[in-house]
Amino acid sequence: MTRHTARISRAGLILIGLILLAGGGTALARGLDAFPAVLGRAGAALLSHAQTRYPAGHAWVWPAAAAAAAVIALLALWWLAAQTRANTVRRLSLEPDRTHGVTVLPADAATGVITDELESYPGIQRASATLQGSPAAPRLQLSVTVEDHADPAILRTRIEAEALAHLRTALELDTIPTVLRIRFSPAHHRHLA
Amino acid sequence: MTGIASRQGDTQARPRRTIPGVLVAAVLAAAGILGAIQAVSAALDRPLWKLPHRDFAGPFQHTHWNDTATLAVAAAVAFIGLVLVLAGLIPGRPRAIPLASGDESVVTGVPRRSLRRSLARLAEDVEGIDRARAKARMRSVKERATTRLRDTAGLREDVHSAVQDRLAALDPLWLPRVKVRLRRKAGG
Repeated sequence: MTRHTARISRAGLILIGLILLAGGGTALARGLDAFPAVLGRAGAALLSHAQTRYPAGHAWVWPAAAAAAAVIALLALWWLAAQTRANTVRRLSLEPDRTHGVTVLPADAATGVITDELESYPGIQRASATLQGSPAAPRLQLSVTVEDHADPAILRTRIEAEALAHLRTALELDTIPTVLRIRFSPAHHRHLA
Repeated sequence: MTGIASRQGDTQARPRRTIPGVLVAAVLAAAGILGAIQAVSAALDRPLWKLPHRDFAGPFQHTHWNDTATLAVAAAVAFIGLVLVLAGLIPGRPRAIPLASGDESVVTGVPRRSLRRSLARLAEDVEGIDRARAKARMRSVKERATTRLRDTAGLREDVHSAVQDRLAALDPLWLPRVKVRLRRKAGG
């Protein structure tokens, strides 16, 4: 997700936008008789009689159109998939050196441990975590809901120095790039932890 | 790994434009699939729909470039195109206020909506304030509070310092300026 998805979404939007802008703009220019020498007469029909007869006389037109439409559909589906892919890591590989065997840990187990730890901190009501990217070098998306009156400085220090440090140790990683979202919530449902 | 500042800017603060992207992609995919089916049926000379492909171009022969309908459609298409280009280019308003972090690998932020609501509740906790609303931006926080008290001396300052203290405790990358507007409601 995140940066990569944003780039894909934005690049696609710009591309499609430019095509629509160019097409619509050209049609508009022709209709307003802006450059008759280049674009043709404003009063002309959208398609001439000869143009409408063209596909009937040339067998390749419809198959070519079908192929072009199919390519557009495939590209659009690829774009759709690239934007909606969650990119979540399901299994983590703990032993990067394959000669020593492969150790696989379900990502749920790792994220479950860190959310349990976070939720045990006073002041934190809820926590959720997902690992994304590659199983060998995952990134962490962490979201915590904090009571309004909790001290944010203490909580952040604990999250960074304890919870994340524990996760790094457990996953045998030197660093886990983390995006931490802190939400606030009124302290109605106070934890007994 | 890119610098922390660019990660702040890219991952946290700016909208990703996934929603318009997915919408446009879905429309395009649907159009491509329908177009392909139509073209295949035309190639096989077996029209699938009532639309006879042989003179699908019939209406196009009787519509002219300077017809109102043509101009309207062209303008609409160009406008949609412009909107999409702008959606792709404009960074958009940040979704989260970035906080300072003690750890290079951690990017921390508070979603603006959450911060807004939290700051509104904070002001409402101030003695004498009935209701409050907050607006949170990167560099400025505006708080609008309502009171029924007749004597509002010092009340604005109380709200201001409460909000300021909370923001300072959050330790944002850029400490926003705090503005408080106090309104007195009759009948207190």
